[in-house]
Amino acid sequence: MKMFLPRSIIAIVVLTAFAIHAEVGKQTPPAGGPPKPFKVPPHQDFTLPNGMKVTLVPYGDIPKVTVNVIVRSGNLNEGENQVWLADITGDLMKEGTKTRSAEEVAKEAAGMGGAITVSVGPDQTQIESDALSEFGPQMVALLADVTENPLLPESELPRLKKDAVRKMTIDLSQPRNVARQHFAKLLYPDHPYGRLYPTEAMLNSYTIQDVRDFYATNFGALRTHLYVAGRFDPTALRKAVDDAFHNWSRNVEPKIDVPKPKSGHAFELTDKPGAVQSTVFVGLPVLDPSNPDYIPFLVMNALLGGSFSSRITSNIRENKGYTYSPSSTVSTRYHDAYWVESADVTTNVTGPSLKEIFYEINRLENEPPTAAELKGIQEYMSGIFVLQNSSRTGIINQLNFVELHGLGDQYLQTYVQKVNAVTAEQVSAVAKKYLIPGQMKIVVVGDKEKIAAQVKPYETGDAGSY
Amino acid sequence: MALLFAISVSAQQKGPAAFHVPVEYYKLPNGLRVALSIDHTAPTVTVAVYYHIGFRIEPKDRTGFAHLFEHMMFQGSANLGKMEFIRLVQRNGGVLNGSTRFDFTNYFEVVPSNKLETMLWAEADRMHGLAVTQDNLTNQQGVVSNEVKVNVLNRPYGGFPWLDMPQYANTNWYNAHNFYGDLHDIEAATLQDVQTFFQEYYTPDNAALAIVGDFDPVEAKAFVLRYFGPIPPTKRPPLPDISEPVQDQEKKASKVDPQAQRPALAFAYHMPKRNTPEYYAMGLLDQVLLQGDDSLLHQELVTKRGYTAEVEGGINLLGNMYDYDGPMLWIVDLYHDQNITPDGIMQAANSVIDSVRNKPLDQSTVDRALVKLRSSLYSEIENFFGFGRADLLASFALFDDDPARINTLEAQFRKITPETIQKTAQDYLRPTNRTVLTVETKPVATDNKGQ
Repeated sequence: MKMFLPRSIIAIVVLTAFAIHAEVGKQTPPAGGPPKPFKVPPHQDFTLPNGMKVTLVPYGDIPKVTVNVIVRSGNLNEGENQVWLADITGDLMKEGTKTRSAEEVAKEAAGMGGAITVSVGPDQTQIESDALSEFGPQMVALLADVTENPLLPESELPRLKKDAVRKMTIDLSQPRNVARQHFAKLLYPDHPYGRLYPTEAMLNSYTIQDVRDFYATNFGALRTHLYVAGRFDPTALRKAVDDAFHNWSRNVEPKIDVPKPKSGHAFELTDKPGAVQSTVFVGLPVLDPSNPDYIPFLVMNALLGGSFSSRITSNIRENKGYTYSPSSTVSTRYHDAYWVESADVTTNVTGPSLKEIFYEINRLENEPPTAAELKGIQEYMSGIFVLQNSSRTGIINQLNFVELHGLGDQYLQTYVQKVNAVTAEQVSAVAKKYLIPGQMKIVVVGDKEKIAAQVKPYETGDAGSY
Repeated sequence: MALLFAISVSAQQKGPAAFHVPVEYYKLPNGLRVALSIDHTAPTVTVAVYYHIGFRIEPKDRTGFAHLFEHMMFQGSANLGKMEFIRLVQRNGGVLNGSTRFDFTNYFEVVPSNKLETMLWAEADRMHGLAVTQDNLTNQQGVVSNEVKVNVLNRPYGGFPWLDMPQYANTNWYNAHNFYGDLHDIEAATLQDVQTFFQEYYTPDNAALAIVGDFDPVEAKAFVLRYFGPIPPTKRPPLPDISEPVQDQEKKASKVDPQAQRPALAFAYHMPKRNTPEYYAMGLLDQVLLQGDDSLLHQELVTKRGYTAEVEGGINLLGNMYDYDGPMLWIVDLYHDQNITPDGIMQAANSVIDSVRNKPLDQSTVDRALVKLRSSLYSEIENFFGFGRADLLASFALFDDDPARINTLEAQFRKITPETIQKTAQDYLRPTNRTVLTVETKPVATDNKGQ
């Protein structure tokens, strides 16, 4: 729920462009030694008699442990007039349990070197903390109490609603969030994934009964997967898990509601008078992670806009200087995903920026990358994969992704191999198949008076004029 | 060549054994400080080069120049043209970044461990010298201007409080100017400025190299000598006086932010000098007062009063309490509604701060603060793979000539008594050492009633 800049600021985030000139007589970089093998850290899985799943991952040498209770409850479970009810429920879960006050929960967690966060996403709620290793079992017990026995006190609801109204207002004063909101609505007009923000009236209408009903409908052992990663005593920890969760009798099956995203071109321009930059989102629904094209699509994305040296970034940042941190991403939901390129570009080059983005999409669709460019991206993704699986939270994220999408353990075992098997022709083919220029949703937030003429060609789905 | 090995300085009398970071430290004849730390957890290695030049001491008519210069370090060196450095890291399976802070500018890569030599070669290549053109500079002036726009100008609360507060709370220009830079100054920079800055500050005797991860130290030291050894040191200009006078009167400032829909408030106190007992005491006070839901300010302002959803801040918002070397602020910030006045918030905050000034903390509160501190120190050490560890080692090499300090921090905090904490609170958390900054919305605020 962080709204503002991260702590490490003034970081150069992205850089790129083409080598301008290769001079003779330059040294070539030393190649380095043979690669060392990497194996995804092994994990132990088991299911409690009540159906709750548990995964333990011994990892690392820092004496800390991360405990994450992941529940299949999120914004997906909200009704049309219940936007952020999942978030309010998450906020209230931090306000004490049937046997511990909120302050006691906070102090106990802090006394173990932890801090409990309850974060709510489209598909899941994560109740998480890390702790010094010696407190692993107690942290499991504390998070179990927060998950199973929240008090959901009525007394705190008005304050949390007020906080939510403030957060929403501040969020929506930031152009990027306005763009996200419009983009989601264009993609998912009739689905909870398309409703990123409530109205103030909606938030104010929520009663404690709404919250308690939401909790009762959406929390239970069958929807829950506990992940523990780090350094811990496996016997003591396993016992703590059994003790803390085996009595949780509440049980509800996950709700399955895979959206049918709206296809076709759409364009939306939101006026932000005086804006020195325009925020642009260009994207569309694509394949989900269970599709066999998914890994080739990820390779294509990394090459097109998803990495430092990608083509779009090279073009509009390092060549043209239009923007600071453009990037494309594949954003996944349960059995669903969309692709989007987003950038904050200087106002007077809003149209030219869109032009270059489409130019790079078209170029990739019509011209397979060179072997060297593809190999570079494959090596990059192979290296990133090691990093993604080399921290406690990273490991949990990876395992949770596999679990949510039902990909099976072999997904992680074979990922690197599959990335490296993708051909240049496949890269162009998946771009052509999924990134159809005339089908893109285009959202722009900026100074309308200055940019309306620039973005005019993109108002229609006639991609020939882009 | 001095060779120091880390000595375990574990003064822990109670609790589990402290985590020990292996540290090997030495200097090359050209003055480059080298810190090595082995960690075989994953087959990766982090290479971090820290130059002892931050944004504090950039040229006076070139605000934002240290940061612009950081961008230029990616624009080409003798053997790597524009973009080639980045491509080299990526095609070897790595990630990279650079950042400009108060007292250093850093560059780092995290790569598969077999690529250590490749990265040392590349970092040495740009320490040898830059090969950049006017086109490269013009391009990065555009990129940096866009960075300032996206992070400061085209958003509400841009620069609040991390960029704003030092400008209000400090009086010495070196601590009180706009570190991100006026767009005008950024655009005025010339290639000559770039070359001069490089020659003056980007020299081996003004830098530290940290290598963290899965590597063979004998091999690593041979690479370091081979690639960095030949780089000659050069003469640096004398350092300006960056000290801050003692503040003896409370300061208040406010700014109107036309993009903001809700007011915000921050307050800051000048920190005690780094590495003194009072400094460590402030680290504990930060934990007691500000960090986590159990903290006194959270309990008072969030839970009890409902003034805000979150109280944020800390020591050195652009890093952590360890990686700076000069005057510093402890900053607290929050966002609130129009119907709560800044005075009301400060009154509530004062009640909490006075409580730690008026009587010593009880032992259980101190113990909890120590646990939180230990946990947060481990989080810094493990932050972003090997980078967090490299950050502390390189900082301690540059600022203290002693990266093995990383293993003494816990003991330093443990030595602090409740009396020292109280005395520190009395001396430093006094209103006369404070600056209060408020962000006001436009006089007629437009409420967001939905979509």
